[in-house]
Amino acid sequence: MLLDYDRMGWLKIALLGFTALVAAFLLLPVVFIVLLSFGSSRWLAFPPPGWTLKWYRDLFADPSWLEAALTSARIATMTAILAVMIGLLASFALVRGQFRGREILRGLLLTPMVLPVVVFAIAIYAFFLRLGLGGTSIGFVIAHTVLALPFAIIPIATALEGFDKSIEDAAIVCGASPFEARLRITLPSIRIGIFSAAIFSFLASWDEVVVAIFMASPSLQTLPVKIWGSLRSDLSPVIAAASSLLVGLTLALMVVTALLQRKVKT
Amino acid sequence: MIQPFLSIRKLHKAFGAFTAVHDVTLEIPRGEFLTFLGPSGSGKSTTLYAIAGFQDPSSGDVQLEGKSLLAIPSHKRSIGMVFQRYTLFPHLTVAENIAFPLRVRRRPDAEVKKKVADMLTLVRLESFAARLPGALSGGQQQRVALARALAYDPPILLMDEPLSALDKKLREEIQAEIRRIHRETGVTILYVTHDQEEALHLSDRIALFRDGRIEQTGTGEDLYLRPATDFVAGFIGNSNFLTAEHLETANGAATIRLADGSVVSGVSVNRTFDKGQKTRLMIRPEAFGMERKPASAELAVEIVDVAFYGERRRIVARTATGQEIDIRPTSAAMRSQDLTPCSRQVFFDPAAAFLFSA
Amino acid sequence: MPAGFNSLLPALVLIVLFFVVPVLALLLRSVTEPEPGLQNYATLLGDGTYARVFFNTFLVAAVVTAVTVVVAFPVAWMLAIMPSALASIIFGVIILSMWTNLLTRTYAWMVLLQRTGVINRALLAIGIIDQPLPLINNLTGVTIGMVYIMLPFMILPLVGTLRAIDPMTLRAAALCGASPIQAFRRILLPLSLPGLAAGGLMVFVMSLGYFVTPALLGGTSNMMLAEMIAQMIQSLLNWGLGSAAAFILLVVIMALYALQLRLVGARRMTGGI
Repeated sequence: MLLDYDRMGWLKIALLGFTALVAAFLLLPVVFIVLLSFGSSRWLAFPPPGWTLKWYRDLFADPSWLEAALTSARIATMTAILAVMIGLLASFALVRGQFRGREILRGLLLTPMVLPVVVFAIAIYAFFLRLGLGGTSIGFVIAHTVLALPFAIIPIATALEGFDKSIEDAAIVCGASPFEARLRITLPSIRIGIFSAAIFSFLASWDEVVVAIFMASPSLQTLPVKIWGSLRSDLSPVIAAASSLLVGLTLALMVVTALLQRKVKT
Repeated sequence: MIQPFLSIRKLHKAFGAFTAVHDVTLEIPRGEFLTFLGPSGSGKSTTLYAIAGFQDPSSGDVQLEGKSLLAIPSHKRSIGMVFQRYTLFPHLTVAENIAFPLRVRRRPDAEVKKKVADMLTLVRLESFAARLPGALSGGQQQRVALARALAYDPPILLMDEPLSALDKKLREEIQAEIRRIHRETGVTILYVTHDQEEALHLSDRIALFRDGRIEQTGTGEDLYLRPATDFVAGFIGNSNFLTAEHLETANGAATIRLADGSVVSGVSVNRTFDKGQKTRLMIRPEAFGMERKPASAELAVEIVDVAFYGERRRIVARTATGQEIDIRPTSAAMRSQDLTPCSRQVFFDPAAAFLFSA
Repeated sequence: MPAGFNSLLPALVLIVLFFVVPVLALLLRSVTEPEPGLQNYATLLGDGTYARVFFNTFLVAAVVTAVTVVVAFPVAWMLAIMPSALASIIFGVIILSMWTNLLTRTYAWMVLLQRTGVINRALLAIGIIDQPLPLINNLTGVTIGMVYIMLPFMILPLVGTLRAIDPMTLRAAALCGASPIQAFRRILLPLSLPGLAAGGLMVFVMSLGYFVTPALLGGTSNMMLAEMIAQMIQSLLNWGLGSAAAFILLVVIMALYALQLRLVGARRMTGGI
């Protein structure tokens, strides 16, 4: 009765203990980084000798951090918009379309997700060097949209598969045009899928390091590139402060997602 | 005194504030086919699960040949069980499923092979040995489950609504199969169902559950012909209940006055009633006849509707006080004038009618 | 929004123009630079230094996969059956860890695993060790960091696999006489195998091509493949050799995915997120 939670006896205790340890392991770096960002030790001693907001002051005093964050936000927003739009169109074709090679094309569109990013990074880097797109915002957005597209297609296509097409047909029978029916009936029904697609594509770009390292120029740096550069030079607590803000952002995003999902359920 | 084979003693199970089983006591002789019958939530499955070891009772005991089973984990109880859903191991073939209980007991290879072959013959699936469960129909899967449960010759076989997922025709086929296997193996069977017909067809004895208690235990005939309570009468077979006033009881037969004022004597009772007490008279639909017989009581009704059901007809009639009753005489016992809506007398044997308190 | 092929066009143009073409161009460079021929592949496959990198990469990927599978299974098992209030807390922790910026997490491990870091200090204080362990700038550090990143990718799909197993099947096994150990080995584990294999292969493939964690937690003497490729391009500007190495990595990974597609079917692999 290994799947009866209430009747596993000592085994349950042991497995729960192990699960708690793993959860602690997963939580450790996240909590640690936040604590560290308030520690007064320049050398990251832990537990810190005292508490301070100095690193946050340093962070905000340096305009290059804010600039990098804004660049990242701009590129990630454009990436999310593009990926969701292209992904939405593609999902309709992949779920509803009747043409040969549909499964192969589906596989092709999802390939960027499974291919090592480093291979794509050097390929697109070389390609953009020739096109003169290296180090430009447009180049960033295009490359990130390629990487984000699978993360947009999967939730939208899954939601679309779960949506009963006869409801859309019913709207058309009621007199709506096919376009109107999709806009007013189908899209609202799969909005959770679209919302997930937007979050995932945003994060795919926001957190993207490898392509960004190759593509970045001194005048155009995303936040991960800025952090990467600092990490390679020293482990300054300013990075901990920046990282803590990112953890806060993640938490906020999780809360929003959870609230939205609850709202849809009720 | 002979020791009972399996005995359930004052079994009690509470889930928080809800009591699923109230002090159930039962003694089951070896080789009996006993059915736990009752509506869902009546405690019959909980009782079965306590025997299987899936749930610990809050108090009480389950004993096999005088030894308590409660401290023994499920896998050492040596009980066979067939479940409501198909619980075959999906990654093992039919033969490997049946062999599973023997393999975990580390029986020698030759014995396992022979036993698997015997079991496949018993459930008539010889040609399916190498198939995976997914390739079998629901009925076939349940027969494999039966073979697996019997493979290690358990003294007791538990069956938890094993036919509820099957369609009617398959159900009847497997019922016959279960009866045959019970006859051939002599295994003691505890069978849970909410289907009264299934219980009547299959069992030696039926324990009728209601709200965690056993309402009545007896053969199907006992429950049908001599129901202890109006719940039993209502649950087993079809019944009409007519409101009546108890006048007196003498020599185990009561005299009552029906709502339309007619007085009926010779009604069966199994408890005492006060004079003038409000009661309900239970009459089976097929106990009504269209012709007067020597000891018959009569009832004036208006025929509302007649439908043909093959060997019987089903008549909806209304008494003088407006109560609808269900009458099911054999088709042969009807004449053409009975078929038209009309007012007439119908007759019943008072000894086949039972009196319950209102 | 036509439901036919047309609405696929924007996606196709994007992928073909900015994914397929650049990757093919890269492949072309691997056989044309510095001069036409297969000498880049000959160098990579013939030289002991590069063989060492390939070996390290496979070794780390294999160890990371094995550890991840062993650690993830009990967690997924509990998550599949525990009360939903408790499970949602654990899921919250997993999602938080997964969504937190990759560099942030890796930075935390860099600090934690330092010679004077918390982990070494704690181990010293308890008295398990009397010399700080070298936990960073080597394959140990890479393995710890990678297991950390891969765990959610293993746990989450495995919960689905385990939830799909009917608990009744395990009860049936118990009544058949199977002890908990027998029921685990003969029923629960085989029934979880599809999820374990799919998750394991995914983790293995992701680990093979991982760049960030090995670059930050690994050492210069024990490089992994992705880092070597980046270095060949970025620092050495050796495009021919770098593209050839990238192409070898690509072929290995595609072969593994093809294997998985044959084993579990395309739909189950891509449709489950």
